[in-house]
Amino acid sequence: MSTQAPSRPQVALTLHVNGEEHTLRVEPRETLLDVLRERLDLTGAKPACDRGECGACAVLLDGQPINACHWLAVQAAGHAIVTIEGLAGQPDFRPLLEALVAADAGQCGYCTPGFAVAAYALLRAEPGAGEETLRWGLVGHTCRCNAYAGIMAAIRQAGAGPRRS
Amino acid sequence: MDAAPATVGQSVPRAGLAEKATGAARYTADLKRPGMLYARLLRSPHPHARVTAIDTAPALRLAGVHAVLTHLDSPQARIDADLAVLDAAVRFVGDEVAAVAAESPAQAEDALAALRVQYERLPAVFDAEEALRPGAPAVHPGGNLVDGAPLRLERGDVQAGFTGAAHVFEGTFRTQEHAPMGMETRAALAEWEGDRLTVWKTSRSVHAHDRPMLARVCGIPLEHVRVICPNMGGGFGNKDEGRAAAIAALLARKAGRPVRLDYGRAEEFLGGRNRQASTNRIRIGVAADGAPVAIDLRSVMNAGAFVASGRNVVRRIGQGALYLYGCPNARFEGLAVYTNRPAGGSFRGLGAPLGHFALEVLADRIAAALRIDPLDYRLRFHVPPQGQPGRRSTPPGHALPDEPVEGGVPFSSNGLRDCLLAGAERIGWRERRRPNASATGARRRGLGVAMGIYKGGVGREAQADLRLTPQGRLHLSVGVVDVGQGSSTVLAQMAAEALQLPLERVDVTMADTAVTPPGHITAGSSTTFSTGSAVKQAAERLRNRLLERAAAHLGVSHVRQQGARFFAQGGPGGLAASATLDEVLGRLAEPLAEHATVTPGSTDAIVNAFAAHFAEVEVDLDTGRIRVLRYVAAHDSGRIVNPLLATSQVSGGVLQFLGIALREELLLDPASGVTLNPSFLEHKSPTLVDFPPVEVLFPGPPDP
Repeated sequence: MSTQAPSRPQVALTLHVNGEEHTLRVEPRETLLDVLRERLDLTGAKPACDRGECGACAVLLDGQPINACHWLAVQAAGHAIVTIEGLAGQPDFRPLLEALVAADAGQCGYCTPGFAVAAYALLRAEPGAGEETLRWGLVGHTCRCNAYAGIMAAIRQAGAGPRRS
Repeated sequence: MDAAPATVGQSVPRAGLAEKATGAARYTADLKRPGMLYARLLRSPHPHARVTAIDTAPALRLAGVHAVLTHLDSPQARIDADLAVLDAAVRFVGDEVAAVAAESPAQAEDALAALRVQYERLPAVFDAEEALRPGAPAVHPGGNLVDGAPLRLERGDVQAGFTGAAHVFEGTFRTQEHAPMGMETRAALAEWEGDRLTVWKTSRSVHAHDRPMLARVCGIPLEHVRVICPNMGGGFGNKDEGRAAAIAALLARKAGRPVRLDYGRAEEFLGGRNRQASTNRIRIGVAADGAPVAIDLRSVMNAGAFVASGRNVVRRIGQGALYLYGCPNARFEGLAVYTNRPAGGSFRGLGAPLGHFALEVLADRIAAALRIDPLDYRLRFHVPPQGQPGRRSTPPGHALPDEPVEGGVPFSSNGLRDCLLAGAERIGWRERRRPNASATGARRRGLGVAMGIYKGGVGREAQADLRLTPQGRLHLSVGVVDVGQGSSTVLAQMAAEALQLPLERVDVTMADTAVTPPGHITAGSSTTFSTGSAVKQAAERLRNRLLERAAAHLGVSHVRQQGARFFAQGGPGGLAASATLDEVLGRLAEPLAEHATVTPGSTDAIVNAFAAHFAEVEVDLDTGRIRVLRYVAAHDSGRIVNPLLATSQVSGGVLQFLGIALREELLLDPASGVTLNPSFLEHKSPTLVDFPPVEVLFPGPPDP
């Protein structure tokens, strides 16, 4: 195939993801979500709304949940990114994961990683938070199967777990 | 090995949920193949136009661009009768015009911007009633009324019924367009090896729809097409048309490399398939005591630019009017109408909620006029277990439909009364319902009830393969898709139960045309009933063979299975002789395999599902805001294989219908034909602060 037109300029980028360093060349317009999914094959963060409305692409940036579709990859340079794949290997994520499965907190499961990332961060930021805080803390996440009741039950369970023991 | 606990009827956790929650589970758009290109679609800016010229050269000159597909190089073979792969005519704002494949998504976007298209604009029509008028712009050749005639169904003599009625009530009820909004958008990944094609795609039917469509469109034998549906991020009766897959396959062949095409969210709202807007005019004639004696529903459905599964949608609008209330005379007329709106299709419940909405609101008005409590009205006049009055028209010995019109046939079971009573008790209907006249203040609370009838899932041929290995694992293979509703879990439970195996010994393979037997479409609430019946039959056959092997192993004529152990019964083998399942299986030279093909149904009863829903709401008379305070859903869905998953399933249905009842609407600008709100927020899809948890009940005895 002929490729007479020049490629768009690329920039060098170092991303810290799940404790590893990745050096890449990206176009400045590429989103963090696209780079995570298409370059690093970390597909746990899902594209769904394309505009920061639904939380399916949530990842942690320096411990805070963000919508990866709303960040350019170049903006994430110098920050520590943890995706759901990274959380999955952490022992302190297990209670939440087990609670999510027990409460059937996902049907098709497409929104579940985003909810899990946000719920993990919320429980760390607000240990002992009440029902309303938890509910409003996840309002930026959409589930179309209506696993909402299961998600809330799981978070209550996971939040109560450590204090009870 | 421990004795197998009973699994059917147990709330075992959803298979694969931990993998989904940790991001390990792959959906179509998560897949990559070596050398894979990314495809993007150019969509029409006009509601109705003819493409007169496309210059693809500037796009093909861009870095990384490998192929462009337009109507000029698309095959003549069609996806559906009214749907080409790509067409010179474009019929709504967002209709697919051309496709590109490039090495990165960004390069593909650049290529779209470089395509030069000239359009000849044509007059457009957006309203279904207008589209039926003489002289309206023709969306397709042959007129805007789909199939050229309305669907007409009648039982008894409706005209005579109205003549004899003591009162006649009527109303016109409109429902708006809204989107299924599966969190995952449509996606397809196509790869060629020579003239053999493999496609991974979002699907409801890899065997029955996708495979023959791709063979036809690509001009290759059926055996050369393999279609796989990985995890599905929400089916909801949707994702059944094939344009994305056909385009990906043709681009991949042109480029000589694998191609993945993912829809963006706005594209999904436009190029997906939405629930059609409808206008429903209903008349009900009643006797002096309120008993319906004639029901007449006429519905006009705006099918949009392509009919897709719209014929089934229209058919189901009529189901409530024809069958929910006991009534000797009932008639339904349904029209599907082409317009220049985004295409409609099948979406959870299809037309049923549209017709039920009209019917149940009018039933409330009848009850109010006759001073009958709305719950009592339904308890008195719902269709009874013995069915509708009238004469059977299905010949004896023939399977009865599960969208019946005729009278004179009973139901296999009918739990409407149980659902009404259980739901009323849960929400406190008798104690808490008060006449509105006694209320004061701007915020008023009230209780409401509605009931429903739906297909039972009969009549779809279903197949299942089972294989029990010497290592003690049971492999279940079915061609249907788990669209997210949990059929992989439920079917494994049914197989485990029949063979008295622990569930963790069962592996399930689904929705891959190369390795699973043919499967029907995942539609019409049918999978557990139809494919479940095939699984059960195959499992029972396998169990008989297993018992024979165990008897031979023990040297007796009969054995009794208790969990994972077989006990000798009679014969010379000795009274105490027994063997474990693993001992019996370990002696096998090869796996025990069984297959079953069944077309479930009944020749003497109608198999339907029933529900009664109750809501407590608060209405702010000043602002009009409606808050749902409680929601109770009582369902008769036959035997519940997994209450946890069934509860989730019902909760999902309720949320989507609270959406259309109170919030959601796709808005179209009537001047330009542009869809104004193709996003989650602006479509007003519910979040977790909008509605209370659904209280789900499954009362009553199970359907045999």
